[in-house]
Amino acid sequence: MEKRKPDVKITLFRTIIVFLLSLLALQTWRLQIVQGEESQERANRNRFRLVSIPAARGVIYDRQGRLLVRNIPSFIVSIVPADLPPDREEEVIQRLASLLEMPVESQLDSELSSPSQSPHLLGLEQWFRPGIRDLIEEGRKNPFLPVILAHDVPREVAFLIEEEHLDLPGVMVQIEAQREYIGGPLLSHIIGYVGPIPEEEAESYLERPGSDYEPNDLVGLTGVELTFEEELRGKKGRKHVEVDVAGREVRTVGSAIDPQPGYNLILTIDLDLQKEATEALQEGMTAAGSQSGVVVAMDPQTGEILALVSLPSYDNNLFMGGISFEDYQALQEDPHRPLVDHALTGQYPLGSTFKIIGAAAGLEEGIINRHTIINCPGTIWLPHRFAPEDPSLAQPFHCWWKPGHGSLSVVSAIAQSCDIFFYKLAGGYQDFAGLGLPTLAYYARLFGLGSPTGIDLPGENEGLIPSEDWKRLTYGETWVTGDTYNMAIGQGYILATPLQILNASAAVANGGTLYRPQIVREVRDAEGKIVRPFRKEVIRQLPIAPENLALVREGMRAAVVWGTAWKANLPGVAVAGKTGSAEYPGPRDREGKLPTHAWFVAYAPVEDPEIALVVFIEGGGEGSVTAVPVAARILAGYFDLSLE
Amino acid sequence: MRRATQHFDFLLLGATLLLILYSVTMIYSATYLSGERGQNLWDTLFVRQAIHALVGIGLLFLVARIDYQYLELLHRPLYILVILSLLLVFVVGHGSFGAQRWLDFNIFTFQPSELAKLIVIITLAKYLADRGPEVKRFPYLLLSLVIVAIPMLLIYLQPALGTALILAVVWLAMVLVAGARLRHLTILALLGVLCAPLIWLSLEDYMRERVMVFLNPQQDPLGAGYNMRQALIAVGSGGWIGQGFGSGSQNQLHFLRVRHTDYIFSVLGEELGFVGVLILLLLLGTLLFRILRAADLARDDFGKLIACGVATVIGFQAFVNIGMNIGLIPAVGTSLPFMSYGGSGLITLLLAEGVVQSILIRHRKLEFQ
Repeated sequence: MEKRKPDVKITLFRTIIVFLLSLLALQTWRLQIVQGEESQERANRNRFRLVSIPAARGVIYDRQGRLLVRNIPSFIVSIVPADLPPDREEEVIQRLASLLEMPVESQLDSELSSPSQSPHLLGLEQWFRPGIRDLIEEGRKNPFLPVILAHDVPREVAFLIEEEHLDLPGVMVQIEAQREYIGGPLLSHIIGYVGPIPEEEAESYLERPGSDYEPNDLVGLTGVELTFEEELRGKKGRKHVEVDVAGREVRTVGSAIDPQPGYNLILTIDLDLQKEATEALQEGMTAAGSQSGVVVAMDPQTGEILALVSLPSYDNNLFMGGISFEDYQALQEDPHRPLVDHALTGQYPLGSTFKIIGAAAGLEEGIINRHTIINCPGTIWLPHRFAPEDPSLAQPFHCWWKPGHGSLSVVSAIAQSCDIFFYKLAGGYQDFAGLGLPTLAYYARLFGLGSPTGIDLPGENEGLIPSEDWKRLTYGETWVTGDTYNMAIGQGYILATPLQILNASAAVANGGTLYRPQIVREVRDAEGKIVRPFRKEVIRQLPIAPENLALVREGMRAAVVWGTAWKANLPGVAVAGKTGSAEYPGPRDREGKLPTHAWFVAYAPVEDPEIALVVFIEGGGEGSVTAVPVAARILAGYFDLSLE
Repeated sequence: MRRATQHFDFLLLGATLLLILYSVTMIYSATYLSGERGQNLWDTLFVRQAIHALVGIGLLFLVARIDYQYLELLHRPLYILVILSLLLVFVVGHGSFGAQRWLDFNIFTFQPSELAKLIVIITLAKYLADRGPEVKRFPYLLLSLVIVAIPMLLIYLQPALGTALILAVVWLAMVLVAGARLRHLTILALLGVLCAPLIWLSLEDYMRERVMVFLNPQQDPLGAGYNMRQALIAVGSGGWIGQGFGSGSQNQLHFLRVRHTDYIFSVLGEELGFVGVLILLLLLGTLLFRILRAADLARDDFGKLIACGVATVIGFQAFVNIGMNIGLIPAVGTSLPFMSYGGSGLITLLLAEGVVQSILIRHRKLEFQ
């Protein structure tokens, strides 16, 4: 057997093989042994995620424990950009677009034929329908956070997406709790609604110290949902999960921190009264041909709001899952502004309801007393400032009762709502020195006008109490006595919200305490334990002698028994109140008169008031004609109920 | 027959069988265990791999019995057949991942480029063996290149850059063994460098992307660099003894993609660790050395060159694939011989081994004549 000489090239070949294999082994060694821990780290980062567990949002009850808001589960479809493989992105987007009926690219539409779903909606000028591709692009800033594509997805679509999950990597169907507002338009101004965090405020929410807000969260946007956002939202839980490449949770790792459900709210509102008040107001508005009105009812001994109605109203359920373009536009463009709570936000001239403040001021300042008689001739003439001797330049001031009331005391003046009595009281006349603007303004502020009441709802306006400086700054004119006259009867520059005048009237009713109106009675935890009990809050004790307020009350009682508010003279319960008909700029009627808002503030029963009311009907004409019957109906309903 | 059995290389066969076993087990983990199950057992990948292996081994024994010198007679028709089937791929071929590489015959799919490797080796070996020392002359060297270049071009156009590259390296190894002059080879290399920009431009976008990503893996972690990153994480997290069979998170949670083909090494690395890798390298090394032994013992140049060609194919392809998995080489999409799932590839390899066994069995004939 002859051994062939080994080919040197083959030996070289062998060497090369050994070299290459060693190279591979070396590199593998580097990866596995030297860098092993680091790689293990990265493998873990791939598959472990910290996710938050949503907390159930608190629900809301009325004072009797009736449910006003509940959470119902709904489906959302979201996508985690990091889990979407680039080579399949296109097909996933197309499939989702067809399943969810969403556009692939964003659309700028001013006309849409079908309702759209958009998480970003409030405050938009033009309608914007985000496309799936753009949402994903946006989401790449935080590629491991799910981007919500659609809320309130129909069941069948959600199930279909779940079935196709192998073909839709990175896509998740999650259950989120949606709010169901049981009362709908009945309570929408009080309760408000939730929605995605508004972009302008995103920073303030997300960067709050200790907050667990995430970009996709729903937060309260208005109403009690907003003012009690912190109590309602609870605290999210957390868990570590292991996920696969498509982002699907495979298992939970370690123990999870459970979420803490939000607190529940018990409102001060009485649902039955709220219904009754809404119906009564609507009836009164229709009878008066008005499109807007307010009723607020409160407990004058505590400041609790028993009912709060602002019409027209809106269905806050529309905002759940994203409001449609048509719906939102309709609400925005309605000239009577259904989205606005006129009870807190509407600033109007008060008309004669202001007289109760004037009366209290006059009595306390000692300008008048119970027996003081002032004459109402029907018209008085205020001499011209710079030519007091020239009668042709004098300005007439009329009483609404043209013939004149004759001689009146303060109780009668209130009961009959005499204008001239109050002109003279406030601005003085001839030898009779009146209160003067500063004092009148001072008392107005005492009674809470000109500042927000601090009710636990957003959007409250503070009204306007004019002053000499104010007039000079705003109109470039000096304050004249005529202005004081106007203010005395709640006209001119003075403005207030229905809530403010109610609160003032309640302070009269309860003997001199101005309370902060409250709409949330208690905060309770999920098991019903009280977390924050009700506590009435005093804004101030009015520095007015009790007998003076008693006199004003007498006047208000008289108004109902034989005065302008006689329609509220209910059998079985002693009602007291004050009417008002406030002129405002508008088209004059056939007799050349300006249109008026109808007002009526009232409380009952006189001996120990339980309920104070304000009724306001925009453009409703005479308070005594249109507003008083509304109050009468509401009070009748209230006391019938309580007598059961 | 006894003679045949005496010279049959059982060590080679043994190493091959162990590799196949390794392969079926890892494919099982990469597919079946990680949730990719077919509708029935025949549909599952690891079973199909096993079946292909059985068929291949049967063919191996068959081919080993036949004298490899018959191939000398058949080399021309075989070459033409290969060219034709490569052309056919363009006409009726099936695509995957943007390339047309398969012919679908309903019962089985056939990848001509795999068989082409073997046929080119045989044809080239015949040519070089016939020309003998003349290969030292440039024109003959060039002609040998042309023999390889035609199928190489057709394969490159599929596109299958990896396989084309392997053919080039096979040619290089074989002509070197045959005795080509380094001088000539250097000239050709220079020409190749000149052509490089042209080749770069003609590369598909995704290929260029892969090269760029190789140079800087952090560049695009979710895009083209994804596979490489995941492979590195997978291999690296294997440590000494791995995460355990069926327990590698990169594998089981599907962070690794194409786990049963291009990245099967990463599955092995993650689950069986450095020890598992060493075993693989050992098996491959044994295989290659036994094939080179056949080259040494071959009774003619034809056999020697065939064996060298086969060793080159297996060795270089393995090096490229493993290199891809551990970050030494950009992703060029070649599979790991014996380990990756693939019927055509496996059967071609076993056929090639059969030829090598045939060379071994007949190496003493000369002496007895």
